[in-house]
Amino acid sequence: MELKPILKTLLRNKIGVAVIATQVALTLAIASNVFYIVADKVSAARQPSGVDEANVFRIRAANYRDVADPLAQQKRDEAALRSIPGVQQVAMVNQVPLGQSGNNSGFFLKRDQQQSTTNCATYEAADSLVDALGLKLIEGRDFTPEEYLEFTEYPTEGQPLPVIVSEAMARVMYPEESRYVGRVFYQGNGDKASELRIVGVVETLSTPWGRTSWGSKTGGESLVMPVRMPTMSPQYVVRTEPGRQSEALKAAESALIQPGDGRILVPANTMLELREHRYRNDYFLSSMMATMTGLLVLVTATGILGMASFWVGQRRKQIGVRRALGARRSDILRYYLLENFIVTSIGIVAGVVLALVLNQLVAESLQLSRLPLSDLAIGMAMLWLVGQAATFAPARRASQIAPATATRSV
Amino acid sequence: MLTMKQLSKVYRTHLIETHALRSFDIDVREGEFVAVTGPSGSGKTTFLNIAGLLEEFTGGEFLLDGVSVRGLDDDARSRLRNQKIGFIFQGFNLIPDLNLFDNVDVPLRYRGFNGAERKRRIEHALERVGLASRMKHYPAELSGGQQQRVAIARALAGEPRLLLADEPTGNLDTAMARGVMELLEEINGQGTTIVMVTHDPELAQRAQRNVHIIDGQVSDLDRNVTLLHTAAHKPVAMSA
Repeated sequence: MELKPILKTLLRNKIGVAVIATQVALTLAIASNVFYIVADKVSAARQPSGVDEANVFRIRAANYRDVADPLAQQKRDEAALRSIPGVQQVAMVNQVPLGQSGNNSGFFLKRDQQQSTTNCATYEAADSLVDALGLKLIEGRDFTPEEYLEFTEYPTEGQPLPVIVSEAMARVMYPEESRYVGRVFYQGNGDKASELRIVGVVETLSTPWGRTSWGSKTGGESLVMPVRMPTMSPQYVVRTEPGRQSEALKAAESALIQPGDGRILVPANTMLELREHRYRNDYFLSSMMATMTGLLVLVTATGILGMASFWVGQRRKQIGVRRALGARRSDILRYYLLENFIVTSIGIVAGVVLALVLNQLVAESLQLSRLPLSDLAIGMAMLWLVGQAATFAPARRASQIAPATATRSV
Repeated sequence: MLTMKQLSKVYRTHLIETHALRSFDIDVREGEFVAVTGPSGSGKTTFLNIAGLLEEFTGGEFLLDGVSVRGLDDDARSRLRNQKIGFIFQGFNLIPDLNLFDNVDVPLRYRGFNGAERKRRIEHALERVGLASRMKHYPAELSGGQQQRVAIARALAGEPRLLLADEPTGNLDTAMARGVMELLEEINGQGTTIVMVTHDPELAQRAQRNVHIIDGQVSDLDRNVTLLHTAAHKPVAMSA
């Protein structure tokens, strides 16, 4: 191994080494953090909502005239939707998972507690949301028909209610427990707080905002109340038999709107569309960041290629002398690859430190966890590979320099 | 030590063919000090390159230390070059970024010696050329004559059987050239075969035998002289 002489040579070419090592360090710091952010965003975008997404759609009809009995209108709508062939379940809801708009409430373990234990997406459903969304109950039961309450106006303060919670919410509320049914907590605090009793736990129920929103750590801290409320724009979630969503959706649009009834239809969305809309910007941002990082890596590779080519060109005579003194082609090839490996490694060592510092800033500002060392290791391996790949062509060219170059005067 | 019979070297491009050596015969015996002279373009450097296995030849036969080098692959030629031949170049060709110790170390690393053996050989070689005290210095810190001595130490460290010198005093002033020449004579006196290409007739005269090349061939006169020398070869005495 020619490690020592290469190091000595590099020490006498400090500027070139510093330029490349700095480029490698910056690339590693940026690339590993971008990789980490992109991976986090992609992972968030793929996080299950708990909904039978392929067979659920959301439809809304907005009233532009006052409605005498909004609750009766909702029931008529539900009946009309249920009568559509292929429809399995309908529920009037105040918000839908990944719909990007909805209610969030603070929940307390005790009435006299000052700070809420958690803030969760608060679903209000006038019929079984478990069935309408295809949620998976992992503990307890669904609401009974008698438990659904009707209110003609807000607020519901003080009203004791049974609730179904997502497991994510239950874990936040009761981190030490593994069974949650029967537990009581409060919406709001003080005398006006509503007492809530858990009757069921679903495995997953995404919030309307998905992950990384409204202080939610998992994007899955949700709660369902069996409540029907008056609203000017009722929305319904409709679950269909597999393969019948498209025809049911068209029929639903006709079923809700009648000429002269003072309503307009808000375009319906399938759950898959809602997911796509929710994460479209994240995907776009991720692809932009990945593209920019790819370009950065390319620039670094070009820098390494340029420096290696320059060194080979500058040392043509020296390479010829080495060949004349007994170096084989493979010795010359190895020399340049090893030289690059050393320079890249210097950059990588600096880059690891820089990446961790940068990650601290990123993690704090984006509320992300720390950069996993495995991501850093992938970045390191990638840069070593990029360095070796970029050096290979000049190194191979160097190995082809004829030993007779040593005796040439020009 | 070095025998070429009817050797030829032709450089070809798509337009022309240049016969750099043709019907080239030479026989250098072990321990000889041969000076190769000739006008510019006569084929001296081509001969040296082929003798040093730096270039391949087109036709004929070439035996190095009794081994035919025809058809050897690049790795085998590199190995043979490293083990049997030492080079001294006109421009010294030291590696500027390495100190004297590391410069002399270059061919020894390719030889695969361990660290202790390399150190022993480097120190001995630098002592032999009188530069042991400056082994941590860099080439730029030395005079031309000293740099050529380092190049000689580098050539000697591997204890080659054959030393090929390409105008070894071409870049030196008279005093330095004399010193280098005396060193070469001393090395030859210790049994190393030396083939030296030179323009300088005065230096050539100090060699044991002269070979003159004209138009890629050993001139007839020298061919006879070569034969005479071959018949009654005796090593020259070591110079003071």
